[in-house]
Amino acid sequence: MGADAHSSDGWIGASLLRKEDARHLAGKAMFVADVRLPGMQDIAFARSQIAHGRLNGVSKPSGYEAQVFTIDDFSSLQVLEAGPELDAFRQSPYPALASGKVRYVGQAVAACVAPTRARAEDIADLVAIDCDELPAVVDAIAAMSPTSARLFEGWPDNAYITRTIGAGEIPLMKDAPVRLHRKFRMNRQATVSLETRGCVAYWDARLDELLVYLSTQGGHVMRLGLARALGLPENQIRVIAPDVGGGFGGKNRLLPEEIAVCAIALKVDHPVRWIEDRREHLLASVHCRDHHYDLTICAERDGTIIGIEGDVHIDAGAYALWPTGSFMEASMAAGNLPGPYRVRALNVNTYTVATNKAPMGPYRGVARPGACFAIERLVDELALHLGVEPYALRKLNLVTREEMPYTTIAGLKLDTGDYHDALDTAAKMVDIAAIRSRQSARKPGEKRIGVGFAVYTEQSGHGVVEWSKRKSRVVPGYEAANVRMLPDGSVNIHVGVQNHGQGHETTLAQIAAHELGLHPAQIKIRYGDTATTPFGFGTFASRSIVFAGGAVGTTSRKLAEKIRLIGAHLLQADPKSVHIDNGTVVSGAGSVSFSEIALAANVRQEMLPAGMEPTLEMTGTYEPKESAGVFSYGAHAVIVSVDEDTGRVEILDYAVAEDCGTMINPMIVDGQVQGGIAQGIGTGLFEEIPFDAAGQPLATTFADYIMPCATEVPSVRIAHSTTPALVTEYGVKGVGEGGAIAPPAALANAVADAFRDCKASFNETPLTPRRIWEAAQAARGTAP
Amino acid sequence: MTTLTLKVNGNDISREIEDRTSLADFLREDCGLTATHLGCEHGACGACSVLVDDRLTRSCLKFAVMCEGANVQTLEGFGTDPLMHALREAFHEAHALQCGFCTTGMLITARDLLARIPNPTEAIIRDALAGNICRCTGYAGIVHAIELAATKLAPEKA
Repeated sequence: MGADAHSSDGWIGASLLRKEDARHLAGKAMFVADVRLPGMQDIAFARSQIAHGRLNGVSKPSGYEAQVFTIDDFSSLQVLEAGPELDAFRQSPYPALASGKVRYVGQAVAACVAPTRARAEDIADLVAIDCDELPAVVDAIAAMSPTSARLFEGWPDNAYITRTIGAGEIPLMKDAPVRLHRKFRMNRQATVSLETRGCVAYWDARLDELLVYLSTQGGHVMRLGLARALGLPENQIRVIAPDVGGGFGGKNRLLPEEIAVCAIALKVDHPVRWIEDRREHLLASVHCRDHHYDLTICAERDGTIIGIEGDVHIDAGAYALWPTGSFMEASMAAGNLPGPYRVRALNVNTYTVATNKAPMGPYRGVARPGACFAIERLVDELALHLGVEPYALRKLNLVTREEMPYTTIAGLKLDTGDYHDALDTAAKMVDIAAIRSRQSARKPGEKRIGVGFAVYTEQSGHGVVEWSKRKSRVVPGYEAANVRMLPDGSVNIHVGVQNHGQGHETTLAQIAAHELGLHPAQIKIRYGDTATTPFGFGTFASRSIVFAGGAVGTTSRKLAEKIRLIGAHLLQADPKSVHIDNGTVVSGAGSVSFSEIALAANVRQEMLPAGMEPTLEMTGTYEPKESAGVFSYGAHAVIVSVDEDTGRVEILDYAVAEDCGTMINPMIVDGQVQGGIAQGIGTGLFEEIPFDAAGQPLATTFADYIMPCATEVPSVRIAHSTTPALVTEYGVKGVGEGGAIAPPAALANAVADAFRDCKASFNETPLTPRRIWEAAQAARGTAP
Repeated sequence: MTTLTLKVNGNDISREIEDRTSLADFLREDCGLTATHLGCEHGACGACSVLVDDRLTRSCLKFAVMCEGANVQTLEGFGTDPLMHALREAFHEAHALQCGFCTTGMLITARDLLARIPNPTEAIIRDALAGNICRCTGYAGIVHAIELAATKLAPEKA
């Protein structure tokens, strides 16, 4: 496990217990809702109760006029352009409070301020919203019909963008010996961080700036957006993200409520607070997934895949969220359809469609859970059609280690690894032969058993090349670290990424300890405050260990060299003859401690070598040598039992063989894998926000939005292999998203395997008992 | 408005509150005890779990005025309690938390379980946690931590 050339001192690859745990265990963490400021008042939003309508006016309740704000109260507020910088991407101006039209149930229309949230809600209940209801657009495919109602009058249809992603030997597909057509659907869900969104803001008169406490994944980028929306210079806005209770992508967009709270803070003389409640979260926070696939897989008779063609519709909701909207969903869904396989042709029409639903944003795995679901189901369906083991069909088509680096038909460069080994390992962990004999020994009335596989790749650590290709409005091509040794030799490191559960205070300290020759306990990692940290993009897209890890590592290394040179001077030794060891600089004869060196550098400059700049502080940025990304990967294998009378699924065993390159902290990697899989199980079996024909969302509490709990999520068995990346510091790859990518596919394949005898097809998530029961009935020809 | 008199973490407290104030809001806003987290405010996620007269209680579902004369214990109030100490240590060692938001409710729920059943099976632990949502960890570390805490406490019981 995990050993590599860098781990000689033991910090890289050590399952160090986390530095961030103590405050949480003591109940002394501080989330945005825990911020206490004198005179602080609460905000509640009055929200649209209809999906689509012309907004004629908003009446403020009598006596409360000064406590209620509508868009008309903010004449100077700017609407941010969002989405990729592509002419073909149509603009969907998203005001902080509704203006002209309402376009989804839950859209914020007015903000009400009162000393408590309860009283603010009382006022919100009295706000009268006068709307003429328009036909709701709720089906992303029907929305593309010329007769569909339009969300934006100026658009020729309801698509934000329509693109064809085609490459390779497309004509081969037409006459392919095997053509198998299937439709897949991954339904809409929410990101559901357990801490909801939240924002506290006030004008700090002494510093002449707006102070914003924000539950976000990236305070610097949010400040950029806030500055543009509010028309303030960035040096008059300070964003503090204190403890952040999960994000998963949903806190990586600037939402209108947050802009409205800041705009109100500029108008009143006291701090204001908005803490999203769970209903608001499910109703109007970032929604995700919601992909429709209509695909044909083309293959040779022996199962060799030729290509994939068809349509992908992304139900992107009513607006593009700042900065980048949901445009990556379609291109990533199509681009990841070839998965880890040798695919010779790809021809996919993608439609990113506006509907009267809450706007779509990123969620752990971004598009890849849908793409993985589609390709991995197609592979299983092809295997069933050809009468071969799905495992064998995968082996036939998986890219081999010898073919690496392998550029997929969609242009993704799969860099390093052994996909066959991952699949073989996962298959051994679940023992296919044993499952097959259990299946054939099943007696009537017993539950069905099935085994399912899914292989995935996880692009991580991608920089300028990849994000520029995507025409991203913000190009997160680097991260920065400021490494500072204080006069006593202790170290503070400020980074621009945002820890919200990933354990950066521990892993980044391990990296710095490795470079500086210190113990991680002597190194403090600070983040989440635009006033103290260097500019950074935040934590998302499985990027932090690659980018921030690299920035901390390379900058610490440079600082270590300066420490070494000062140490040599203090020892009156030849710099070539000294080295760093455990908080000291050592020459043959003697040693000098970091505290002596840091004292000289910071407060006793006369002791420094001639011409040496004082202080021990360096700021550096880092981008990997190649910025197309490094690919983690893995194979998931799951065994389920299915009650055919009820459609209820139980997970009997879940095994993963994964490779995320060098692991800085294997304990934290395991936590990411297990936690990602729990979310993937949620997507696969439980979580869904359905809408009725009028665009009313039907899951707005945890009573109807089903979350996976301890009784549904098994402890996963994890096998690691370690193929270091070639272009990153220490050979790391990202690991945050991978766990969530494969479970919907693996689970659906397992359920389908349980019904192999009747060839039932399970092509829609979540696999609720009813969907399973109906698919089984349909396959048996006994559909109701 | 009603005058509420009760004990919170051993301290006698008397406050004027609105009748509709939930126990969770009372603890967080009136008493400043922010270890009690609100994840759903409809009794489904367990983040706001506290003990009321030693019974595991969702503080978001109870009006504060229902706790007149009661003894309420939040995570801040466990001091040197050996069960809570063992659980905190075990949660740290078993990587049972990531973002930390559910953790306080998990600890209170876990302590309630171990106070009643000192050596629970994995199935009993999972059942006891079934009303506490964790979005980060996938529960494996939490289940393991409770097993670990039970093991650590076992010699003292014997």
